[in-house]
Amino acid sequence: MSDPISVSDELKAQDKDPYEINIFEPGLISFSRSQGGVFQGVIEGKVYEELILFRIFPFQYNTQYISVRNSKSEEIGVIRDIDQLDEESRGEVDKELQLRYFLPVVTRIDSIKQKADMWIWELQTNLGQTRIVMRNLHEHMQYPSLYRIILTDVNGKRCEIRDYSTLDIQSRKKLKDVL
Amino acid sequence: MPYVDKLPKSIEMQLTEQPLFHFGSDLMKDGQFGEQWLVLTEKEVSVWGTDGRMVSKFFVSSITDARVVGGVGGGSLLVDTKEGPIILIRYTASLTSIFGYASKLIAAVAKGEERPTASEKEFPRHCPKCRNPLPEDSQTCPVCKSNGKVLFRMLGYAKPYKIQMIAAAIMLIFTTLIELVPPFLTKMIVDNVLTKKDMGSTLLWIVIGLAATSLVVTLMQTVRGLIGVWIGSKIMGDLRHDVYHSLMKLSLSFFDRRQSSQFIGRVNNDSEAMRQFMTDGVIWVSGESLRVIAIFAIMFSMDWKLTLLAMLPMPLMVVLSTVLWPMIGRRWYQQWRSIFRLNALVGDSLQGIRVVKAFGQETTEMSRYTVANKELVRHNIRIEGLWQGMFPAFALVAGVGTLLIWYYGGRTVLDGQLSIGTLIALVTYLGMLLGPLQWVSQMINWASHAISAADRVFEIMDTPSDVPDTTNPADIGRVNGEVEFKQVTYGYEKHHPVLKNVDLKVAAGEMIGLVGHSGAGKSTFINMICRFYDTDEGTITIDGVDIRNISQSDLRSQIGVVLQETFLFDGTIAENIAYSKPDATELEIMRAAKIANAHDFIVQLPDGYDTRVGERGHKLSGGEKQRVSIARAIIHDPRILILDEATASVDTVTERQIQEAISRLVKGRTTFAIAHRLSTLRNANRLVVLERGKIIEVGTHEELLAVEGAYFKLVEAQKEMSQIKGVEVHE
Repeated sequence: MSDPISVSDELKAQDKDPYEINIFEPGLISFSRSQGGVFQGVIEGKVYEELILFRIFPFQYNTQYISVRNSKSEEIGVIRDIDQLDEESRGEVDKELQLRYFLPVVTRIDSIKQKADMWIWELQTNLGQTRIVMRNLHEHMQYPSLYRIILTDVNGKRCEIRDYSTLDIQSRKKLKDVL
Repeated sequence: MPYVDKLPKSIEMQLTEQPLFHFGSDLMKDGQFGEQWLVLTEKEVSVWGTDGRMVSKFFVSSITDARVVGGVGGGSLLVDTKEGPIILIRYTASLTSIFGYASKLIAAVAKGEERPTASEKEFPRHCPKCRNPLPEDSQTCPVCKSNGKVLFRMLGYAKPYKIQMIAAAIMLIFTTLIELVPPFLTKMIVDNVLTKKDMGSTLLWIVIGLAATSLVVTLMQTVRGLIGVWIGSKIMGDLRHDVYHSLMKLSLSFFDRRQSSQFIGRVNNDSEAMRQFMTDGVIWVSGESLRVIAIFAIMFSMDWKLTLLAMLPMPLMVVLSTVLWPMIGRRWYQQWRSIFRLNALVGDSLQGIRVVKAFGQETTEMSRYTVANKELVRHNIRIEGLWQGMFPAFALVAGVGTLLIWYYGGRTVLDGQLSIGTLIALVTYLGMLLGPLQWVSQMINWASHAISAADRVFEIMDTPSDVPDTTNPADIGRVNGEVEFKQVTYGYEKHHPVLKNVDLKVAAGEMIGLVGHSGAGKSTFINMICRFYDTDEGTITIDGVDIRNISQSDLRSQIGVVLQETFLFDGTIAENIAYSKPDATELEIMRAAKIANAHDFIVQLPDGYDTRVGERGHKLSGGEKQRVSIARAIIHDPRILILDEATASVDTVTERQIQEAISRLVKGRTTFAIAHRLSTLRNANRLVVLERGKIIEVGTHEELLAVEGAYFKLVEAQKEMSQIKGVEVHE
């Protein structure tokens, strides 16, 4: 792998205040995906073979405030809003975020059962059918906002109920029992 | 053994080589749920669909490295090739560790390095039968475990109290049967006395009979209750005793993996749940079932047609019971959660009351409380409302049966085919059925709780210790204190050794300073001497005897420990100092404290040596605690002394006092000391520099400075740090 940091860049980096958040100029960045499926991009004229994206406010913003980091997890800068990017970049960023933040959105609740001290949720999500198993409810359900619920499995797998008021009646009824 | 799913036949058939490793992932490459298989052979890495279709394949020779990139809630396994990195497979968070291992294995195969062995912890903990994840502290699947076996074992605890149990059972049968007598007597009063208007002695005798039965029932219930309490307390005591004993025998690595607070709950709550089931539960269930059977028998013998009629609403009651109880359970849980939230909120804002006030946020806190409070009120009303409504509902359903009997029975009486007394008796018996029926499903619930409690308890008892005590301990007497490490390798996880081939010979009375970056293996080194863990390879000897051949109590009596985090038990200072030598005289305790520079401050406390310390007692400062724990080590009089960052958390003046105390303590003892401030190791005879689990330098302070190696760098780095902080370096 080529090291993306060269001498001239280090000089350039010195000009910047290292404690200032580098918000990207949308025109100076573009992202794509390699043959091997790895997320990569060109940022401020420099080619990166591998980039990692972080949502800075994962519960508040899905597509805004995205931290872009190199493979060593050093921050290169922040995308304020991916809507500012060109179409291909936006598509790839969106896809990468969805892969990195694996958070299936629940579309239907098939059942919530308590069996031998375990809460077993059978769910339909936008990514397919899955099962979430929790030891208890109070430690494994988070409410980032009024109608939003994040469910966490005993193994760390997570699912999201984006807005429970929009679920179908049957699902809502099952959910209401455990809220 | 960890459970690994079999490779689907369709994939296996297409392989040309025996796979080294295979594992099924739970995501497709595009992030959708689905199954894909990773297969590694000596020559190839491949990914397959479940239908046997190959998704991708790479020759091991083209791979330079492999790694995982963790996301949130999932991750992906990457291989680096000459053409750049390639994503092989994606998975959800539950499979993170196994694919982490897979990446290490692929990298090792690709680079021709030594291959890691998988430890059990890395395999996802799924129940092989029902695919549900196993709880992190248990190997048995709570969903599909065999209840019978656990039940049987649990009842084994009642065995020593067989006679009392039998006595209780006999009384139970008697009381149940006698309780059934009064309605029958009532029937006789109505039929033989009241209807016939026969004022003979029969009435008196029947009333005497009624009085006698209630007296006998009361007596028997009291005696049975007493026996129950007695057996229950005994069983509970036995259980707690066994659990605690097994806990104390377990090795440290067992506790490393678990939160210690959960054990407090286990020892108490789980044994309580088991006791409750065994005494109250078993007696209640057998008593009530006996009663139900007896009542039906009597009712059928009186009038089978009417009995059948009365039974019509029974299924409805059982259904009601199975519907309502789970609902009650859920609402209870909801209510518990809102209490929990409210308490957390109060605790939070009161603990941070300075911050709240400093930022002037009282109103915000109040409104947060109001919201949570309203929530609790709502849940309270919900659960209490249901609770209040439940029993009347049962009574109503049962009432239907009674109504039916009254109507049809009444008509039969009018027809002259049934006596009034029988009718009244039937109605009374029917009322007696209400109790057992409405609790049916709750009993099942209690039983299942007790069984899972028992499961957890037995699991602790069944866990073997990782550091078993030798059956044939060598008699070591009082050791000189020569310690030798011979090619010692150890890792908390076996494939990831923290100590590698460590060789060190320490003479009796020598002081060794252990130096190195955090994570270099210093603490592990010390843990090995205490035999908190056993070596994976190599041996540790004390005076030439393998420590595995020394009984653990003998070993520990030779070793004294002063740790950074001092722990004082609940009790007086004197008791804490005499922890390892409970028969120490007052003079010995004072001497030890004097050597530890603790005597003076202890005497000046209002309660002196009788000051209560520990969780509920007097709060000693960090330095004071440290000196008490040094006194504890002094009275223990160990041949081998271990100091783990003993002065890390105190200011410089206190440090000097502790240093003085320590220098008196180490005299004539083999000492191993870890210190972050290198200056505190000046007195060491030799310094041992560890880096990534290996000894890289050994020598005195001066010798090591002279070679300008790793130690020199550490010293320089610390000098720099002190200069930044504006602190003078003591060299």
